[in-house]
Amino acid sequence: MTRPSPFSVRGRHALMIMRDEREMSILRRQLGRLGMSVTETDPEALIVPDTGIDVIILDADSIPIKPDSTPPLKTIVPVIALIGTETPSRLKWLLDLQPASFLIKPLRSAGLYTAVVVAFDGAQRRSEGAAYVEKLEDRIRARRVVFGAMLQLMRNHSLCEDDAFTLIRQTAMRHRTTVEQLSADIIALGGMPNRSSRTA
Amino acid sequence: MPKTKPSIPLGLVFSRSGPYAMMGREMEKSALMAVDEVNQSAAFDFTFTPHLRDPGGVVPAYHTACEDLIRNAGADHIVGCYTSASRKQVIPIVERTERLLWHPARYEGFESSDNVIYVGAAPNHTVVPLVRHMLEHIARDVFCAGSNYVWTWETNRVLRELVASAGGRLLAERLLELGDTSVDHIVSEIIDRHPPAVFNTLVGESSYSFMRALHAASTRAGISIPMLSCSLCEPELKMIGPAASVGCITSSAYFESIEEDENRAFVARWRARHGDDSHVSVDSQSTYVCIMLLARAIRRAGSADVAAVRRAAANDCYDSPQGPVWVDPDNNHCFLTPRLARSIDGCQFDIFWEAEAPERPDPYLSHLDFASVGARPDKQGDATAWRPTHLRVVK
Repeated sequence: MTRPSPFSVRGRHALMIMRDEREMSILRRQLGRLGMSVTETDPEALIVPDTGIDVIILDADSIPIKPDSTPPLKTIVPVIALIGTETPSRLKWLLDLQPASFLIKPLRSAGLYTAVVVAFDGAQRRSEGAAYVEKLEDRIRARRVVFGAMLQLMRNHSLCEDDAFTLIRQTAMRHRTTVEQLSADIIALGGMPNRSSRTA
Repeated sequence: MPKTKPSIPLGLVFSRSGPYAMMGREMEKSALMAVDEVNQSAAFDFTFTPHLRDPGGVVPAYHTACEDLIRNAGADHIVGCYTSASRKQVIPIVERTERLLWHPARYEGFESSDNVIYVGAAPNHTVVPLVRHMLEHIARDVFCAGSNYVWTWETNRVLRELVASAGGRLLAERLLELGDTSVDHIVSEIIDRHPPAVFNTLVGESSYSFMRALHAASTRAGISIPMLSCSLCEPELKMIGPAASVGCITSSAYFESIEEDENRAFVARWRARHGDDSHVSVDSQSTYVCIMLLARAIRRAGSADVAAVRRAAANDCYDSPQGPVWVDPDNNHCFLTPRLARSIDGCQFDIFWEAEAPERPDPYLSHLDFASVGARPDKQGDATAWRPTHLRVVK
């Protein structure tokens, strides 16, 4: 699968959570130049729709820091933070937000494109990383099943551990299935499935 | 006694010395010609007082020159800069002081300041039509030779994506430092590999040396390799020389050979002022257009106030030597007409196609569909259906 190019941002939708009209007008104009559409919401409301938002641009200074240190926003949408105050208390709040990129205020026309491209690329890499971790976790969970299937074959066919695994791996390849799926079949059937043809 | 017209200070920042002095001098000559025409015209009830600064091609000197023009000469409007590095030095100061920079040169795009009017071509005006032509009529594989700076890096990036979409590839990317004329190793490699096309993004002396050396080596080897450029201009053809400068397929919004009344009159005025053997370049013409767009906007606004002039400049269609030009208020770049031409004898370009109408500037190439540029019909397909509909053959 080819990755979408982070450089082409036309048609993407941004949610601006900010209040400063001068900075909002710079962003509206610049996002329009990039071919992106915009929705605006007041920082006090802090409502993020579930769908249809590709990136959030959040003015960090417009949201009070709460003492309970709960993350200000829970979302999987990449966030570009606008930063004015660089105090550690604000930066701690910002780190909890895990912004995909940031811009220093006062805003200029330059910089937004970089921030958007970095945010989209970071979000894409994070999502690929999460999918890879999930796949690895599935395989770890399946290790118990594979080990059970190996024990079954070792007992049934008097094989050593290495030969039992090689048999499972080669059979899985021939059947065009995964080692984990074949192992589950072996356990369910009490032995190697008798399939002469390829499975889907 | 005629009433004296009020005078408006105008900053002109061109490098008459340094590595690209030739272009700087040509652009300054054009700026002064435009200033004289405005000052002598009854159509304008003001005059420009030009304040010339020469940063000598030294990047930080552009910032100093513009600061001086704004603080000491009282200039609200500055025309000039040539390289992107020089423009990026100037942008912070014009943004901070709310002045306007009128930028004549084409550039690689991916910028849009509210305090710059980009009169030169955007990448959709130059590199895209040239690559489209190459893919449709010459080759999908290409050898790249360029100067090692932002123009080449970004032009080659666009080229690489367009070529890859068409199933082709960049056979090589060979870069030389700016001003470096040691081109022999690149020329030898090209002769050895005999690529179907060479894409030349070298600038200045590097390009002239490369074109001369490649022409000599190709002639010796008895081969001919098409060359493409999006920066070559008439005064450069003269510097390269009569044989080596011929045959380069070039993309530009302006060629001296445009057969329009405005251009014929402009070239005649240019030659009357600078000599019959002088040539207008795209950047000189664009500098002239900058000053005319500015003068017209001041006239419409009734003042030189930056915000008023910016508003007045938007969508004001000027029948310039290169044809109708106007500022797109969405991004401060200009609607221009892309053209392709082949360099011929006599330091001229033979224009072989141009856009049907001025094209909207797309500095971020956000409206470019990379896949569609490289799309070719199958052999049985109807070639006319595949030809881009917005391009018309003029010869």
